Amino acid sequence: MTMSMEYAAREAAGNLWRNRLMTMTAVLTVAVSLSLLGATMLMRQAVSSVTVNWGKGVNIIVFMHSGATGGQRKAVNQQLTGMPQVSRCYYVGHAASFAEMKRMFRSEPDVYQQAGLTASEVPTSFRCALANPKDAQVVASAFQNEPGVRSVYDPVKQANTIQKVSGIIQLIFVIVAVILLLSAAVLILNTIRLAIFARRREVAVMKLVGATNWFIRVPFMLEGLTQGIIGAVVATGVVFGMHAFLGYVVKHYHATLLKALVVPLHDVVSTVVVVFLVGMVVGVLGSVIAIRRFLEV
Amino acid sequence: MISFENVTKSYRGSILALRECSVRIEKGEFVFIVGPSGSGKTTFIRLLLREEVPDSGQIWLAGREVTHLASWKVPYLRRNIGCVFQDFRLLPNKTVAENVSFALEVIGRPKHVMRTQVRQALDLVGLGKKQDRLPNELSGGEQQRVAVARAFVNRPLVLLADEPTGNLDPKTSLGIMRLLDRINRTGTTVMVATHDASMVDAMRRRVIELEHGELVRDQARGVYGYST
Repeated sequence: MTMSMEYAAREAAGNLWRNRLMTMTAVLTVAVSLSLLGATMLMRQAVSSVTVNWGKGVNIIVFMHSGATGGQRKAVNQQLTGMPQVSRCYYVGHAASFAEMKRMFRSEPDVYQQAGLTASEVPTSFRCALANPKDAQVVASAFQNEPGVRSVYDPVKQANTIQKVSGIIQLIFVIVAVILLLSAAVLILNTIRLAIFARRREVAVMKLVGATNWFIRVPFMLEGLTQGIIGAVVATGVVFGMHAFLGYVVKHYHATLLKALVVPLHDVVSTVVVVFLVGMVVGVLGSVIAIRRFLEV
Repeated sequence: MISFENVTKSYRGSILALRECSVRIEKGEFVFIVGPSGSGKTTFIRLLLREEVPDSGQIWLAGREVTHLASWKVPYLRRNIGCVFQDFRLLPNKTVAENVSFALEVIGRPKHVMRTQVRQALDLVGLGKKQDRLPNELSGGEQQRVAVARAFVNRPLVLLADEPTGNLDPKTSLGIMRLLDRINRTGTTVMVATHDASMVDAMRRRVIELEHGELVRDQARGVYGYST
């Protein structure tokens, strides 16, 4: 068994080297398509991390003026809880709001430090969950001109805009990635076909002397798998590169807007795992089709 | 050892390559299969190797029924059969020794077994000193000896030779025949399909004659044809 693995590895490496130009083309196509796939996944994770900032299940936020009176607050609270569309509400007071703001702008404290904001000047708010998030517009309009109310914020709507734009970009990326992945599989198929053709004498002799079908097939499959994996390695480099580059830009140019796009490392790692799996599947798929069509065993 | 029972084989429906062919070959025999081109000699060999499946009838090799063997078992069947062809079928980029050891390598024999068996096989065919040459540096006769060494290196039960001397001059052919005879004396069953009349006449072994797919003669210590 170890012997035949050694044999398979040697044969696969030999085939790859003999067809190195074709191999390189296939590997690069795999790498580009997987990089796009990785970028799409990172974007998804970034967008979802932006949209969870306000807390789970919050559909609407009613901000009060910092100077709103207790009576105004009470009235709003009663009105909110009385509405059938609102399923649940909680109040965020001055101290909690100030803490939240500090958390949101922790990378650039100038925003509130230079203005000399104190806790009492920060607007308080009601955070509400709706029975049906589609009613956000109705609820919001009811409080727009209520005394003491500063503004009504609809985080879902805001998030929707981000999600819509990024969704279109993601869709384009995924379509391009899928097309490229398909062409990568075809390119791998073609390199394996060439390898099978180049080794037809060996294959004929192997069949004659009684090599098993798997023994004949495995080197070719390994060849496809290797191309997929090398492509995935390159794409992994690109994904980590993008992550590091964004991190660098955010740190050195204080590009806070981009900050949300820098996803935590464990998200990058899970992306890389998917990239590897897809690369392997594409490689094996290409070689299996080539073997079934061109290798008669 | 080998037995064909009422074997019929046709290609693409119409052309009959073998018709109701029945023959028994015992262990250790040396058999010539003769007949003009298209008489069914090659079909006979291809059926035994399970490269083809007969339309009807049964084929037995070493107590195993070949016709209904599961396809994954076919490689194991072929390990019992060594094959030599008219066109040698050596790998041009491998040396003599590598060509022979390739046959052992691809069936997963350990290295130390390979080394001794390859040396023995090359000594048997008289090419021990040329083991590092490439096939195109050898004469036709020598190349065929390498092919015989490769066919025999795994000690098969049966050695099949399809026109082994078709590309060789009479003197060289005689050398190959002597070699096959020597292999036969180790107890290996040898089957040679040929239309080289002088070889058959010189060897005086069992002759099975096919004509248009039918067995027309089976003669111990025979010659190529009646008329000559």
